[in-house]
Amino acid sequence: MLRLGLRTKFIFLSCFLFLLPWLGYEYVWEMEKFLRQGQEKTLVGTTRALATALHERPALFDSQTNFLDQVVKGRDLYAYNLNNPIQLDGKLSEWQPYQSLFWHYDKRYLQGLNNDHQDSDLSFDHMVGKYENYLYAAFKVTDSSLVYRAKNVLSFTRNDHLQIMLKTPEGEFKRYVVAARQDGWVNAFDASTQEPVTKIQGYFKSTNAGYNIELRFPLSMLGNKLGFAIEDWDEGKAEPQLMSTSNLQNPNDIGSVLVPSPEINRILKGMGHSGSRIWVVDNHHRVLAQSGSIHHADGVWADGLKDAPATTWWQRFEQDYLHPLYYKILTRPENEFIDTLHDVAAMQGTHIASALNGKPASSWRLTPDNKAVILSAAYPIWIQDKVIGAVIAEETTNGVRTLRNKSLEKLFNVILAVMLVGTVTLFFFASRISSRIRRLRDNAEQAIDAQGRITGKITYADSNDEIGDLSRSFANIVSRLSGYTDYLENMSSRLSHELRTPVAVVRSSLENLQMQPQSELSQKYLDRASEGVERLGKIITTMSEATRLEQSIQSAEAEEFDLTKVITGCMQGYQITYGESLFTLSLCKEPLNVSGAPEFIAQLLDKLINNALEFKTPQSTISVSLIKQEQHALLKISNQGPLLPDGLVEHIFDSMVSVRSQQHQQQPHLGLGLYIVRLICDYHHGKVAAENLDDGTGVVFTVELPIK
Amino acid sequence: MKKIAIVEDETAIRENYTEMLSTQGYQVVGFADRASAELAFNQSLPDLAIVDIGLGHEVDGGFLLCQTLRSLSKTLPIIFLTARDSEIDTVCGLRMGADDYLTKDISMAHLAARIGALFRRLDAFDQPADQTALLHRGPLKLDTQRMQVFWQEQLVDLTVTEFWMVHSLAQRPGHVKSRNELMSDAKIYVDDSTITSHVKRIRKKFIALDDAFDCIDTVYGMGYRWEQA
Repeated sequence: MLRLGLRTKFIFLSCFLFLLPWLGYEYVWEMEKFLRQGQEKTLVGTTRALATALHERPALFDSQTNFLDQVVKGRDLYAYNLNNPIQLDGKLSEWQPYQSLFWHYDKRYLQGLNNDHQDSDLSFDHMVGKYENYLYAAFKVTDSSLVYRAKNVLSFTRNDHLQIMLKTPEGEFKRYVVAARQDGWVNAFDASTQEPVTKIQGYFKSTNAGYNIELRFPLSMLGNKLGFAIEDWDEGKAEPQLMSTSNLQNPNDIGSVLVPSPEINRILKGMGHSGSRIWVVDNHHRVLAQSGSIHHADGVWADGLKDAPATTWWQRFEQDYLHPLYYKILTRPENEFIDTLHDVAAMQGTHIASALNGKPASSWRLTPDNKAVILSAAYPIWIQDKVIGAVIAEETTNGVRTLRNKSLEKLFNVILAVMLVGTVTLFFFASRISSRIRRLRDNAEQAIDAQGRITGKITYADSNDEIGDLSRSFANIVSRLSGYTDYLENMSSRLSHELRTPVAVVRSSLENLQMQPQSELSQKYLDRASEGVERLGKIITTMSEATRLEQSIQSAEAEEFDLTKVITGCMQGYQITYGESLFTLSLCKEPLNVSGAPEFIAQLLDKLINNALEFKTPQSTISVSLIKQEQHALLKISNQGPLLPDGLVEHIFDSMVSVRSQQHQQQPHLGLGLYIVRLICDYHHGKVAAENLDDGTGVVFTVELPIK
Repeated sequence: MKKIAIVEDETAIRENYTEMLSTQGYQVVGFADRASAELAFNQSLPDLAIVDIGLGHEVDGGFLLCQTLRSLSKTLPIIFLTARDSEIDTVCGLRMGADDYLTKDISMAHLAARIGALFRRLDAFDQPADQTALLHRGPLKLDTQRMQVFWQEQLVDLTVTEFWMVHSLAQRPGHVKSRNELMSDAKIYVDDSTITSHVKRIRKKFIALDDAFDCIDTVYGMGYRWEQA
């Protein structure tokens, strides 16, 4: 069975302290959930505030294409915001970042059927963009044969050319033609007046596959409709081929163009400080305006929580040792993550769909690299009960996470301190308690020896708690017990004292009676009575012997003497008295110096030999041996005879204990002989023990005395 | 006729002793407590006082009485006869100037012999020293008539019991006397350790006169012997 000390148990219990960080973590996690909900609401609030600014302002949206029921990609154009200025040189290198936004026009956009049409015959890639106040357009035309405008021909339509059809802000339809005589700068001509239009500038550059055209015109020229067409004239073919973004023949069929609205953008700029990325989309999911960057959109939550450089030693310690530890569990929000919505023209998502249906909504999504969670909220923009767009705001949860991390850091600090202090306190508390209890146990064990005698006092503690109480009640018990033991041990001496006077009365009376002339009969009784008194007197003398010995032991002065000499002398005496053949001796020859009283040792030996003589079987001998064992003298006296009863081995040396059977009881005996042996052993700081012989034939008494 | 006073609170014992000693030819007066005894002693002193230590409710009444008697007379023989046999009481009693300290389990014959011996010693002081009664053992001189012991011509103040023990030992120097022999020679019946303490006290009394004294030799397990220097 595993034994657990108090201290171990306390430490085990203090392990529950380790639940604290878990609880704290759970708590902060809950808090984070609330914060996220809060962030969601705030974000919806932001979108609502912005939407409120845009509600019922048809002017803002009029120029846009919201009246269309549907938007067709390729036909309805979208002017992307360009981040860099475009140099008109026909090389299209500035358009490289927007490569994916180019739309490929092939035979589907051909006006008039031609089943044999090949992409190499005519096709083009095209996109429009907006930079500052200009609309830029790029065309990468694939044309198997390039036909320039002839040098001295006024007509600019009988060659490869670009047609532009647009609706001015005033609602007038205009058609322009760009035809190049050679590579280089080109201008547009008004198709109806045939006047050059210098506002429309362009650059024409032939390539291996065909030609490139870059051009730009001011946004002020443009309403909400725009269409381009490439007319390809080939040598030897009478009919030109026309490939267009929308049908330019019919003004109603011209595709729309959406230019990010500078007005809405301005309004958005005002909201740009909200710490979110904000979009305004039309009801075709096309982006009308955008502001802010997602990488800085972490909400308002983490404001003021930026890590200041460590100044105090504690902050340095925290940063150098604690934070690395904490961030093994925590994740630090990353500012570098992939944003898929960077520069998109159309936005998708359930929340947008829901907002365009008239219901504000929000959604969470993970960035593709799993480094950040982006929260976006959408709110519809109403104009006369019709949703014409939505405001979308996006934020990362990095702010909340930073906030969470910060609070977890603080929480961990506190918990670490609490655990440290708590564990240490508990440990010391437990140590103190267990040491006090151990001291009490040792005390209690020392107070009573193996024979159950009181050997010392319990020093009780003054402390006013249960352990103090326990020690005091122990001390009480021991002192009461020692009083009782004293009473028992003094019993014989008190008895002998009390009995002596009545015995003297009887004796003196008998003796007086003896002096009177007696009849034969009364003399007989008188003799018996005298004999009885004689025996009583003997008993009393024996009883007082132990007491007297105790007293003389108390007053005896210890002297150094040779144990070997005493025992050898005594044994010689016994051999003379009882006959030599009765003993088997094996005594050590070297002197063994013992401090004590030699008379007492002689008395001890007397008692032991008497005891052995009394119990030995006839014809057997008593063997006495004295050896030196380390720092002790070992005296063994063994005899063949009846064994010691099991229960009495411990108590055989106590006062008034006798194991004699009836046939040994001819002489009065009080069981004081071995008690005297023990007293003498105790006086010499020795030990005495009685055991049955291993072979079960008799008993051996062993006396162990320390030698100098 | 010698006058003996018995101070004893136990009526039966007092009267038994009184009767026994009266038949021996002594004039015996018994007292039951210290007050009546002191009252009588102030008027006339007896020739011998036998005193119990515990007197009625006075636990040490006998000791007090002994002190009073000693203040009245330096030479009056006093015997303590008591049930108390502890070493402390014995030493106390003898220090107070008692001539003997006996326990109550002594037989009347022994008591009578002891009393006779004490009176003999008193009488002997008045007579010239009888050379035949003297026993010489080197520096030791024993006057068996006066029951006096001299060591190097100095008197050793021994009680009657002690005198008999020294006498027993010195009679046959070199021979071992067992404790039992010493007991019967001293006419007392006590246990072995009492004999041991008697011998110790005798040694002390001699050593008080002569540091180099070591004539009483312990033979472990057997007894004691007088070792002639």
